[in-house]
Amino acid sequence: MKKNNTDQTPRVEVAPEVLAIHLKMKRMQKLRRGLAYLVGIVISLWILIPIYFIASMALTTPEVVRSYPKGVLPFIPFSFDTLRFFLGSYGIVRGIVNSVVVALITIVLSTIIAAPAGYAISRYIFKGRDLFRLSILAVRAFPVVVLSIPLAVVFIQLGIYDNIFSLALMHTALVLPTSVLVLSSVFASIPFELEEAAMVFGCTPVQAFRYIVIPLILPGVAASAIFSFVLSWNEVFAASILTIQNRTLPAQVLATLPYSPDPYKFAGSFFMLIPAIIFIFLIRRYLFNMWGQITK
Amino acid sequence: MSDQPNTPKRKKYNWAPYLLILPSFLYLIVFFAWPMVQALVLTVRENDVLLKVHREPEQTSSTIGVFPRGLSVEILDQQANIISESDLDEPGLITEIWFEIQVEDETGTTLMGWAPERRFRIRETDENGQPLKATVRPILADEADPRTSIYIEPSESSEVVAHLEAQTTVDISDQMTLEIWFQVSGEMDGETVIGWVQSRYLRAFPESNQARVDRGNTGQFTWKFIQRMFKDRFFWPAFRTTLLLTVIVIPIQFVLAIIMALVIQANLKGSSIFLGIFSIALGVSDLAVGIVWYAIFTNFGYLNTILERLGLISAPITYLSADTRHWILIAIILAEVWRATSLVMVIVVSGMQSISQDILEAAELFGATLWQRVKNVILPLLKPSLQVALILRTILALQVFSVVMAIGGGDVVTVLARETYRQYYDLRNFHLAAAYATFILVISMISSIFYLKAVRTEEEVQG
Repeated sequence: MKKNNTDQTPRVEVAPEVLAIHLKMKRMQKLRRGLAYLVGIVISLWILIPIYFIASMALTTPEVVRSYPKGVLPFIPFSFDTLRFFLGSYGIVRGIVNSVVVALITIVLSTIIAAPAGYAISRYIFKGRDLFRLSILAVRAFPVVVLSIPLAVVFIQLGIYDNIFSLALMHTALVLPTSVLVLSSVFASIPFELEEAAMVFGCTPVQAFRYIVIPLILPGVAASAIFSFVLSWNEVFAASILTIQNRTLPAQVLATLPYSPDPYKFAGSFFMLIPAIIFIFLIRRYLFNMWGQITK
Repeated sequence: MSDQPNTPKRKKYNWAPYLLILPSFLYLIVFFAWPMVQALVLTVRENDVLLKVHREPEQTSSTIGVFPRGLSVEILDQQANIISESDLDEPGLITEIWFEIQVEDETGTTLMGWAPERRFRIRETDENGQPLKATVRPILADEADPRTSIYIEPSESSEVVAHLEAQTTVDISDQMTLEIWFQVSGEMDGETVIGWVQSRYLRAFPESNQARVDRGNTGQFTWKFIQRMFKDRFFWPAFRTTLLLTVIVIPIQFVLAIIMALVIQANLKGSSIFLGIFSIALGVSDLAVGIVWYAIFTNFGYLNTILERLGLISAPITYLSADTRHWILIAIILAEVWRATSLVMVIVVSGMQSISQDILEAAELFGATLWQRVKNVILPLLKPSLQVALILRTILALQVFSVVMAIGGGDVVTVLARETYRQYYDLRNFHLAAAYATFILVISMISSIFYLKAVRTEEEVQG
């Protein structure tokens, strides 16, 4: 490629000064690319190495975890013993089940409630639309800490305290704003012409929605559901405040943190990290789309 | 927030969009707006500290004053009144059983009415022990009416339908539990107030006519909890640390996020791999990340291992202890930067994608250095994105919690959210927990308004 370029340029009779500048810029660009690679690799290492450390600790035996100096895989024995020790500890399996149940209820509730709002925002122009979008964004930013305490007091009064279903109600409120925003960007990515065309060919608006829009948005809805799952799976504060016996996994780990041994902590950390990392990796495109829409 | 011009919309004005947003709107009212108001209410209002004193022994009668909890009062009189079934398990109740009776008077007509159990001697019961027949006891007190009053309703404040002589035989058709009301007199603001209160709120002292107000039934506005929060020994350290963390972490995150975005914007081969790696931390649990950095900074952790391998130290250094507060802070800062920079990066990258490539190329063509391009072209164009990211990150930074718990245990280095948790979870004080939560809310709002104002004025200057 480069050879070709230099072969062709002399025919245009370029002044030597211009050529010099051109070459200089080429060199600069190369240098910059190299620098960008270097910076990118350094940042990548900064992100990956801590995960590598915790994976090494989780995927070995508890004896190795307690030893010093610390090693990393593959220089230390690979084993599922630490993870098994963690999963066998009191309240962990139950916590995982609770976490999954809470997250699933949250997904269903938030999708049902958020999908119509997402559709309205992306398809209609109506008075108060921008206000609604703004307040959704504001709510997204509001402190969980502030909501948990009064909700705990109310849940105690209503007799639904320490219940994973009431925790799911709270988590739905937490993920609802993000669901609305993700879903509205999903709807916005499907041209309204498609719906219109279907209606021209004799579909009712409901049919057009059923046969044109729904198949197209399913991946986006799945992405929003996955994101809701991750948010609920990670949430610690509200879960710790609103439950005592029926703890979710992070709440259980937090409650036992002060007197739990290192292998338990490290395996717990790894166990909480992995689903979130995988899921977010799958849906990152939608998150970029969402923020692109919001900040427009 | 402009509309996307290439997405056609149903332009006609109708009610459909409102119907569609209604569910989310209602949900957010119930689970956001309302709890937020409740948090404020819990902060400045103390429930059940005042006892309403009624003019008459009835719930509906007017209130003539309030007694504070703990006040000593004198019992002047008592009366039994209807109590709703749901209140029967209230603590501290003094109750009385009343019978509905039927009796024939001299003229042969049947009278029905209510009177207290103590006025009767049971003569006959059914197989379940329910009384069926009884005789009226005599009233032995001097100069009193020797007859027993029968009331039209099970309440001493209702109309008297008859007076029965002692030893009259009556049929018992029903019975009911009534609550005693006391007529009490107590001092309030230097004045003596005499009125009626329910027995459940009083603790009566035996063998005397004295009683104490045990609990109240109405709340009171108070600054007490806010004052107590400011005097709490953990408040100022928590506030200082939260602010310090916010002020240190956020600039680092923004610089790092912009560098990440520039690397991705450089259109390198494999830039999608970089993007994938940079967004790993986007959805990780903060508790898990706290533990990851605990694994690095703990005594027998990775940092000491690396330093020892490099020959820089000969024995492990203790980082996470009460004597090395600064190291705990550093670990928390690193964990927060590691965890939350990706969110800023996503916002910045999505913002950069909407900047036209031509502008950037033009700037490069005119010989602008990287720093000049960032400062004069990219940052101004990214302003809306940065504003959103700044608000979001600040509010999230003000509620940092799990990372602090996982790394430092939450005592040596404490933050506002940790104190909310302590007040609620360890000390079981709803009001102080709500006060802390409200405080976080207030500083979050102040910071958001500050960012919005700061950016808008700059736009006006430019415009």
